Amino acid sequence: MPSKHNFISHTADIAFEVEADSLEELFVESFYGWFNSVIFSDNELKIHSEMFIEIKADSLEQLLVDFLNELNFLLITKKILCLRIENLTIDKRNILLNAFIRTHNLEDTSIIKSEIKAVTYHQMEIIKKDNKYFVKVVFDI
Amino acid sequence: MKVDGIELNKIRDNLWEIPKTDGMRVPGRIYISREMLESTLSEIEALKQVMNVAHLPGIEKYSIAMPDIHWGYGFPIGGVAATNLDEGVISPGGVGYDINCGVRLASTNLTLEEVQPKLENLISKLFQSIPTGVGASGAIKKLSKSDLKKILEKGSVWAIENDFGNQNDIKFTEESGTLRNADFSVVSERALERGADQAGTLGSGNHFLEVDVIEEIYDNKVAEVFGLFKGQIVIQIHTGSRGLGYQICDDYLKILIKASEKYGFKLPDKQLACAPIKSQEGRDYLAAMQAAANFAWNNRQVIMSLAKKCFQDTFKIKESDLGFNLVYDVCHNIAKIEKHKIDGKVKEVCVHRKGATRAFPPGSDMIPEKYKSVGQPVLIPGDMGRYSYVAVGTEKAMEETFGSSCHGAGRNLSRHKALKEAKGRDLVSELKKKGIIIQAKGYKTIAEEMPLAYKDVADVVDVMHNEGITKKVAKLKPLGVIKG
Repeated sequence: MPSKHNFISHTADIAFEVEADSLEELFVESFYGWFNSVIFSDNELKIHSEMFIEIKADSLEQLLVDFLNELNFLLITKKILCLRIENLTIDKRNILLNAFIRTHNLEDTSIIKSEIKAVTYHQMEIIKKDNKYFVKVVFDI
Repeated sequence: MKVDGIELNKIRDNLWEIPKTDGMRVPGRIYISREMLESTLSEIEALKQVMNVAHLPGIEKYSIAMPDIHWGYGFPIGGVAATNLDEGVISPGGVGYDINCGVRLASTNLTLEEVQPKLENLISKLFQSIPTGVGASGAIKKLSKSDLKKILEKGSVWAIENDFGNQNDIKFTEESGTLRNADFSVVSERALERGADQAGTLGSGNHFLEVDVIEEIYDNKVAEVFGLFKGQIVIQIHTGSRGLGYQICDDYLKILIKASEKYGFKLPDKQLACAPIKSQEGRDYLAAMQAAANFAWNNRQVIMSLAKKCFQDTFKIKESDLGFNLVYDVCHNIAKIEKHKIDGKVKEVCVHRKGATRAFPPGSDMIPEKYKSVGQPVLIPGDMGRYSYVAVGTEKAMEETFGSSCHGAGRNLSRHKALKEAKGRDLVSELKKKGIIIQAKGYKTIAEEMPLAYKDVADVVDVMHNEGITKKVAKLKPLGVIKG
């Protein structure tokens, strides 16, 4: 079954639940959740460049928070929007993420839907059940 | 009464207590009317957060919540907690991501009759001059690292030294616009990068600049001391430390999650990560948080100066005739070391105010000389279609809430529901019919921030007024708003 993310009701901020067949897919699907939270549409956005990212953390939850915060930092501060993620790998023992991201250099900031202050740790727990991975992601906006 | 297993005992009409249960070091206390409590119950999460905060080591007296309580991260929004300096902790969850988010109120000598004919021009000029929206930047030239260092260590003083205001503005800013133990060296490069071009910008979400008219005065004596009168034009600025503050909070949450484990704290929520105030981790967070607070004060000072120029250009008026005096600037997301009386003894404590406003009484050493006879102005913005309030601090606030009061209305509808409500409606025209001009970067913000999306701030203010924590001074009606 393909990965999916579903937005859930939150009074002040943005929250979604993610379901995936693997940990790597859980991270990639969380990226789509982030993308749909911050960008109006990607229909006409061209890939301008690519970059390699590496993130190390103390826990898998921390790794997910840092990964999404990294994408957010690139967008808001560097005006670099991640459009696609390729070859995302997670070294579970060392809690290390590597990925290639294909990016768009943002000239028109009006396509940004919401400014995320940060990815929170609120109720974040990566759960593995029946060979599926689940997580809830909440953004403070 | 019992809600989802949470016991709530009525202490007074507008005060409820959650008794100590497993792990809570103190009881929880919520200032709220029964009607508001019943509607807040849909956000049971917020009540649980009041209980969670009571687990913090060194917490004194109560975990307190204001009537604008709603679900936050770690602390609820509207949460107040004081921790002692001996074994007490400091937690970024008690401050929030937007460090020193706050409100400033400036008064003018202009009246409604003088402003009305040029209101649309004024709002357009404000919208053009003050960057708003996601990642807004470029209000002033991009700051060099040395300027950024000065702002982080000196706060509003940098703005004054660079012609964005005058000494009088400093006098009427909480803490004179500078927390003196701020330390540039404990702020990450990433935080500096996020803040470098954001000084003087409003940002997005619920941040705004509003031109208001004073519609009603409740206390003539106090209003006179604050320099406020019926029919007067005033402006409110609501923003904080922008990306720099968000990044500092995020950086230190990571550090303090580790510290919580190191010190063996059993916490019910990771967002309550904390460290002893006296520890290296605690001291570093306090110093970095103070740096962000200084950045926020400077931000609001620069915006006020840009707004003043818009008024002068629009009305072709001399500075002395315009007025544009800072009434007060308050922060509502902060942790500060203050002296409070606990069990009859004066103690130094770290007061966390997360979506709560300091409300010091007459005679306090911490408020401007001019206000000593009446108390500190407390600024409580509402939504953009109804009203906001100016209140004043009281001795009772010192006795019960560590000198704190409410900070705003609190959301009623989720952003998603607000967008649904706004479908097919022309909110700009609706507001215009009510005499309110709005300019925003996008219609989505206007829809998400529509008046219906917020609770009635009058209910919130009345709870604090009826409990004697703060007293109402004036009601402001919006005339024009700029938003992100």
